[in-house]
Amino acid sequence: MGIREQRDMLDRHEISTKELTECYLERIEKFDPKLQSYITVTKEKALQDAEKAQKKIDAGIASPLCGIPIAIKDNICTDGIRTTCASKMLEDFIPPYNATVIEKLEMQNAVMLGKTSMDEFAMGGSTQTSAFAKTKNPFGVDCVPGGSSGGSAACVSASLATAALGSDTGGSIRQPAAFCGVTGLKPTYSRVSRYGLVAFASSLDQIGPIAKSPYDCALILNAIAGYDPHDGTVSKKPVEDYTAKIGKDIKGLKIGLPSEFFGEGIDDSIRNAVMNAAKTYEKMGATLVSCNMPSLKYAVAAYYLIACAEASSNLSRYDGIKYGHRSKIGENFNELICNSRSEGFGPEVKRRILLGNYALSSGYYDAYYGKALALRQKIAAEYASIFKDCDVMLTPTTPTVAYHIHENISDPVKMYQADICTVTANIAALPSISTPCGYDKNGLPIGMSLTSRQFDEATILQVADAFSQQFTLKSPSLSL
Amino acid sequence: MISYLAELGKLHFSPEEMKQMAKDMTSIIAIMDTVKEIDITYDAEADNKNVYLNDLREDINAPSFPTEKILKNAVNDESCFVVPKVVE
Repeated sequence: MGIREQRDMLDRHEISTKELTECYLERIEKFDPKLQSYITVTKEKALQDAEKAQKKIDAGIASPLCGIPIAIKDNICTDGIRTTCASKMLEDFIPPYNATVIEKLEMQNAVMLGKTSMDEFAMGGSTQTSAFAKTKNPFGVDCVPGGSSGGSAACVSASLATAALGSDTGGSIRQPAAFCGVTGLKPTYSRVSRYGLVAFASSLDQIGPIAKSPYDCALILNAIAGYDPHDGTVSKKPVEDYTAKIGKDIKGLKIGLPSEFFGEGIDDSIRNAVMNAAKTYEKMGATLVSCNMPSLKYAVAAYYLIACAEASSNLSRYDGIKYGHRSKIGENFNELICNSRSEGFGPEVKRRILLGNYALSSGYYDAYYGKALALRQKIAAEYASIFKDCDVMLTPTTPTVAYHIHENISDPVKMYQADICTVTANIAALPSISTPCGYDKNGLPIGMSLTSRQFDEATILQVADAFSQQFTLKSPSLSL
Repeated sequence: MISYLAELGKLHFSPEEMKQMAKDMTSIIAIMDTVKEIDITYDAEADNKNVYLNDLREDINAPSFPTEKILKNAVNDESCFVVPKVVE
């Protein structure tokens, strides 16, 4: 059941916010020990939130998300509630403030169920680098849920939350949404405030919704988007109603299919499912347009150089002094910092700090970081050229379906290359949505991505919804 | 090279970790090297055309975070962070 259905039931008093919240808390208690999608369940706060929400409903002043149970990725700061980033470094960190998105959800009286697992510091695509909860895929518990927002995607897929917030630096909302058979939206960079989002790569990070449908994602984006004086990079552009175009005819819409995204390395089952979706759009009256992104072959390298360079700088704040893990060993200042960082960070985070330092270090800067910035401009220009002839671009979200736990974990290069279909939207700061478009022979979900011009979230939500209306979404069958 | 990068990142590794990290970094850098194939230059001017430094928000007086709340996450004493002796 999605937000729209729950809204109707709550407003018609067919169910109370307490009953709805308790239903989810019971499901979490029953299924999450196996699924491990949550790091922290905020049962007490959820019931308090539910009580406040019920008062608003009873007074007839309910906002669209009033009383809706929502989960939050554990890299989004919550005042007084542990925010770990799935890292030993922040195991006991209690933020003294709320992220702006949390304030905005609270203004709508949404109910916070808890904090979801993720790859450590959002670095990974499997949620297996989490120090606390290595989340499983609800469609097959031997498979990864994707990442880094794997906990958020898995809990929505398994109905352990109605919707969730995730964050996306190179695909961390869309890839787990694809693996878990749900919808995930990465908004345009600067559409949603990053204040209170633990920084990974500040020029790429963006918070966004994961939900059961594009419509639900639109409702959440309506709530969280907009200007914030606490974030100097956030846009002042007015927030439109992102549900406004949903349900409108897509006749005449031009859908670009870039050949490079359908080539070598993409599983046949994925290619076929996305091409079938393209044909469905054609039957709805859309026009399919062939297009190209020649620089795609450099995208993963450019992305990792930029992201790791920024991460190595952002993560230098963890010194064990002001907050975060503090080593018990350290005779002097430098030793204390080194020991705290070496004990607190996991191997993937350390790898990325080293790569970032490499890209930025004297003698290598121009060859790596400078070149990556140039590629960023080139990729953005290629997108601009595509959007001269197309309204949206349709691609696979991932080259493969969810893989077996431990399958790629020990091979960082393989893990990085799996991000090929998602990183360019972050590089070019564009909005992109992943929504289910099929299932492989083993029943594992397949996701397709729709990307549009900056700030044109309304169109990709409309186009994603048009497909979802004729697609039979499957729910995972959970066992204990 | 790895020990130099580790030093920059204020990290240390055991000999086994160092060996594994060197192996991983070698294969990762091989992928990063693909950017060298393409002959393009970054245009800083183009990137900064949307930066308006005269569009900053007003300075407004506001209460800061309570000291006790901030210090809760740190080893502290007399409302200060505690660090090892810095000056001999």
